[in-house]
Amino acid sequence: MTKNSVVATLFRFQSVFGLLAVVVAAIIFSPRKNGAILFVSADNLANVVRAVSEIGIIAVGMTFVILIGGIDLSVGAMLGLAAVGSAVLMVESDWGFLPSVLLVLVIGLVFGALQGAATAMIGIQSFIVTLAGLQIARGLARIWSDGQGVAIAYGDGPNEAPASFALLGERTFGGLVPIPVLIFAVVAVAAIVFLRVSAFSRHLYAVGGNEKAARLSGVPVVRVKVAVFAICGLLAALAGIVHAVQLNQGSPNDGIGYELDAIAAVVIGGTSLAGGRGSVAGTVAGALLLGVLNNILALNNIDSNIQLLIKGLVIVAAAALQRLRPAS
Amino acid sequence: MGGALVRMVGIGKRYGGVQACRAIDFTLGAGEVHALLGENGAGKSTLMRILSGDVTDYDGQIEIDGTPVGFSGPPDAQAAGIAMIHQELDLVPGLSVADNIFLGRELRTPLRTVDRRRMEGSARALLARSGVRLDPRRPVGELRVGEQQLVTIAKAISLDARVLIMDEPTSALTTAEVERLFDVIRELRRAGVGIVYISHRMEEIAQIADRATVLRNGEVVTSFDPRALSTAEVVEAMVGRPVQTMFTTAETDTGAEVLRVESLKLTARRPRPGRRDPDGISLTVRAGEIVGLAGLLGAGRTELLETLYGVAPRGAVEGRIFLQGKEIRPRSPRQALAHGIGLVPEDRRTSGLVLFHSILANTVVSSLPAYGRLGVIARRQERAASVGMAERMRLKFGRLQDEVGTLSGGNQQKVVFGRMLLTEPRLLLLDEPTRGVDVGAKAEIYRLLGELAGQGLGVLLASSELPELVGVCDRVVVLRDGRDVASFSTANSGEGELLAAAMGELQ
Repeated sequence: MTKNSVVATLFRFQSVFGLLAVVVAAIIFSPRKNGAILFVSADNLANVVRAVSEIGIIAVGMTFVILIGGIDLSVGAMLGLAAVGSAVLMVESDWGFLPSVLLVLVIGLVFGALQGAATAMIGIQSFIVTLAGLQIARGLARIWSDGQGVAIAYGDGPNEAPASFALLGERTFGGLVPIPVLIFAVVAVAAIVFLRVSAFSRHLYAVGGNEKAARLSGVPVVRVKVAVFAICGLLAALAGIVHAVQLNQGSPNDGIGYELDAIAAVVIGGTSLAGGRGSVAGTVAGALLLGVLNNILALNNIDSNIQLLIKGLVIVAAAALQRLRPAS
Repeated sequence: MGGALVRMVGIGKRYGGVQACRAIDFTLGAGEVHALLGENGAGKSTLMRILSGDVTDYDGQIEIDGTPVGFSGPPDAQAAGIAMIHQELDLVPGLSVADNIFLGRELRTPLRTVDRRRMEGSARALLARSGVRLDPRRPVGELRVGEQQLVTIAKAISLDARVLIMDEPTSALTTAEVERLFDVIRELRRAGVGIVYISHRMEEIAQIADRATVLRNGEVVTSFDPRALSTAEVVEAMVGRPVQTMFTTAETDTGAEVLRVESLKLTARRPRPGRRDPDGISLTVRAGEIVGLAGLLGAGRTELLETLYGVAPRGAVEGRIFLQGKEIRPRSPRQALAHGIGLVPEDRRTSGLVLFHSILANTVVSSLPAYGRLGVIARRQERAASVGMAERMRLKFGRLQDEVGTLSGGNQQKVVFGRMLLTEPRLLLLDEPTRGVDVGAKAEIYRLLGELAGQGLGVLLASSELPELVGVCDRVVVLRDGRDVASFSTANSGEGELLAAAMGELQ
């Protein structure tokens, strides 16, 4: 391995190395209890991943959108709409678990597809389309819930959600892995595999890399865009369902600002906002990095405002490192 | 005329192995309009870039009013009274006409703020002098290309230049606008301004120029009085061979008809300035035949290829397109490819490749469904296809994973070619396939074209390089103003006829 290829590898897996660095720092600075490092306790680690699972699921979808050179600002609002939808359908409308979840997922899918169609066919920038989408989804959530949070109680009676829904918030594998974490992991692995093996992913990267060239090469650009925004909307809705089960409620104010955290995870993960370059693996590392950072700061009782400050600096540092990436 | 205003003596300039200018002597008198003629690459632009201070390392000497000068850059030349109007309009679309004219030398009020009223007044007067009625407050981006051209001319005039270099100033103007421009030129001439006028349009040169100089391969071939020579004689000087006016309808009857276009006409819903959509084009391409598309800038070559490939702007299409006898009307590249039509676009960097993606990804993107099943790529098949194509194209590369942007221009072009061939087209549309490609790669591309034609592919090749058209094509169709005006067999005719037809002399 030449020196150059070492450097190239370092940059390629920049977010993974960044994550490792933050984990090492977390271990060093972790408070200890009876000699045990609190950070690495199974409970704490499960909590770290559980805390990032919603943002993580959203960020996977966001990676797709950013890979085609777009952005989706509506995902936080979509999460709120999905959380409200799950709660209202199961608690107030007495729907079953599966129909409710399916309907909510379809709403996310269709909402995303419509946004994709608006940017691809009318040619409005996705920033603007999804800015509008954000308002619309938030408005729909308020209307659907009458502006109130809907608490979820479980049971078989009226105004109670089916107990099967509560299972989504439980733990599995001997009580070690929270189901939301499992869902995040499945989504991430599926996305990574999909981007590696599917012909569609070639089209997706081509559209993000050079839309005009992609079109002239026969890539169905409109179809790719619609599909990508649909996937992003679907995953945001899934995150909303997870959110509802974790908090036992659906509130129209859920997920405010989540889109920005998701974008931050994608950027730290090394995906280029210009499109055509990046990976879901990087995004997962980026989301975990943010999660570990939050966790270690909280463990040390550092003021949450300082946490924000540090998060901001990390984002800038990650972006700056990418500028240094050697043009291979 | 006493002493010449500009005297360039023994000008030479070499770019790598190419001698762009070779011991050129060129003079311009005060109040003279001196036309400069020559094929693409004859050295016109280089010579004028030297005069306007854009190129500073050259051999020979320039004198202005008998005093030797050496410019350090365009501002230096402007200070000496030399202004150039470039073909690419250097205007800021978002700024108003007045702001553009005074860009970088804004008029100020005593308070040092921009004096809009004075700038608009001056701009209005300047425009009026150029015979244009334009509101100086309008953003330049809203104007037609022709109007933008007039704004750059007004801007050049506002510099009070003594020497004005105009590079194809009329390429986007209407006849009426050309007339007004000529009035302005005549007025400038009376005021003693020397004007270098570069154009391909013979009738304009005969109308406005006092003297014309023809360059070929970086040398002055002849200087003459434009009213005294016929177009045929001028073309002969430009090409360097006598023009035999010989039309032939004999077509190579190798193979069946691949493409037939009948009176193709596109009326764009929203016409864009500077575009020349097909306005009644008929032509055929047979299997194994390479048909050239000739024509001046703005004759509609690219627009024809775009219409055939389904990427022209939306609008009403009249006429018919047949591919292998079946009538088609592609509405997207995807449909065109499905019919068996491939396109190698003009600018591979902006329209051909994703430069930072791998050679592999770039070669297979058009033919992906062929590898694997159910939307899953069979990596080995894909690799094999890419490797096979690279060998067939004699691509020089390291690994398939390397970024395409690291390849030389010629090899990049081969990747675009290879991608199209992997779709197994029946008809290949090529738009300036050898632009920006070195001589070696050019030869490779020509060899490949011959090979493909030998295998029964039909090729439609748009090019502005006459030697390429004559050398590579079996037959050349000449376009002018969106219409096909002539068709030659290259066995019987040469560059001269093509150029003459493109310029509008032969019918």
